[in-house]
Amino acid sequence: MKIKPLASLLLAAALCIGLAAQRSLTPAPPAEKVTFEPLNTITVNPAHPAPLRLLFRVKPGFHINSNKPLTPELIPSVVHFSLPDDLVVGRVQYPAGQLKSFPFDPTQKLSVYSGDIVITGRVIAPPHAATGTYTVHGDFRYQACDNNACYPPKTLPIVFNVKVGAHSRSGPRAHGNSQSPHIHN
Amino acid sequence: MNRSLLLVVGVILVITSLLFLGKRMSQDEAQASAKSGATPNAPAFNPAAAGPETGSIAPDFDLKVLDGNGKTMKLSSLRGKAVILDFWATYCGPCKIEMPWFVELQNKYGQDGLQIVGVAVDDASEKTISDFTHKMGINYPILIGTEKVADLYGGLDGLPTTFFLDRSGKIIDKQLGLISESVIVDNIKKGLASGGNSGSTPAAGQ
Repeated sequence: MKIKPLASLLLAAALCIGLAAQRSLTPAPPAEKVTFEPLNTITVNPAHPAPLRLLFRVKPGFHINSNKPLTPELIPSVVHFSLPDDLVVGRVQYPAGQLKSFPFDPTQKLSVYSGDIVITGRVIAPPHAATGTYTVHGDFRYQACDNNACYPPKTLPIVFNVKVGAHSRSGPRAHGNSQSPHIHN
Repeated sequence: MNRSLLLVVGVILVITSLLFLGKRMSQDEAQASAKSGATPNAPAFNPAAAGPETGSIAPDFDLKVLDGNGKTMKLSSLRGKAVILDFWATYCGPCKIEMPWFVELQNKYGQDGLQIVGVAVDDASEKTISDFTHKMGINYPILIGTEKVADLYGGLDGLPTTFFLDRSGKIIDKQLGLISESVIVDNIKKGLASGGNSGSTPAAGQ
């Protein structure tokens, strides 16, 4: 009975040492410079496209190249989708870049995004599309800098759901599972 | 008697562990705060927290020389010279600002024993990198970086990352991001003045 406080103390010490060791051995993951704002499920009916609005947030103090940077060595921001057979994303529109110069080179203007970026498009279900909910995977590739340094290109995953509504002319059919790009710009 | 002693030891252990844990957590929080870019103009990571430490010998590597017909360069072959190791990429605006300074400084201090070495940490093709360096008039060797070397130097999460080595290969300073030319010159002078006398001439292509 008397040994219990001592055992508790030693156990607490062991736990603290273990926790401290774990913290010192586990490196913190690098913070993302851009985040993707989750989307609500998009509902689309065959022959009636639905608008797609992807919102990305660039952390304060950072900027990324626009989709059309002004020099070829700069890496453009680009969104890609891997779509189920029954869906198409069309008319992907990137916002115009802001023309800005930065302290590291006040003489040169760059076409960049900062703050919130909205990339739009249209989700289209072809007439043969089966009803049901589909998960669309994609990614956003960007390369960020701040006023003093640049960071390696990153690929940010994107996921959202699309619900294909009832078909007016023909009955539903089985979902195709293959993921193939159907991007119409 | 023995139990009292054990109790005292236990208490000391708990207090020591808690102090260690508290210190560790405050360090982690400070690093996370630096990484988060809470201060907009501050570098997003603390270079002092990653990669080889100042005062240690720079990790050796053997990398392909750009436009070198397959030749490689070993960092350790530069012993006897003060070295600036500049990790950069073609997409990096701040890196481009430093390059003309490096060209000028290589001309000015090369005969005193300075060797600037650029390491391209880039997804671009060698041709793109080569065209870029020709356009910039680079007069010092450019090596093609690898992930392994990036890891050796702390992951290179931001560019430019610059290591200043003395003649013995010891790191005398390391900097993340664009730095002023005066900081570079100060480190060149320190590097040339320490780590032993000028030794063998380095060679690209071992």
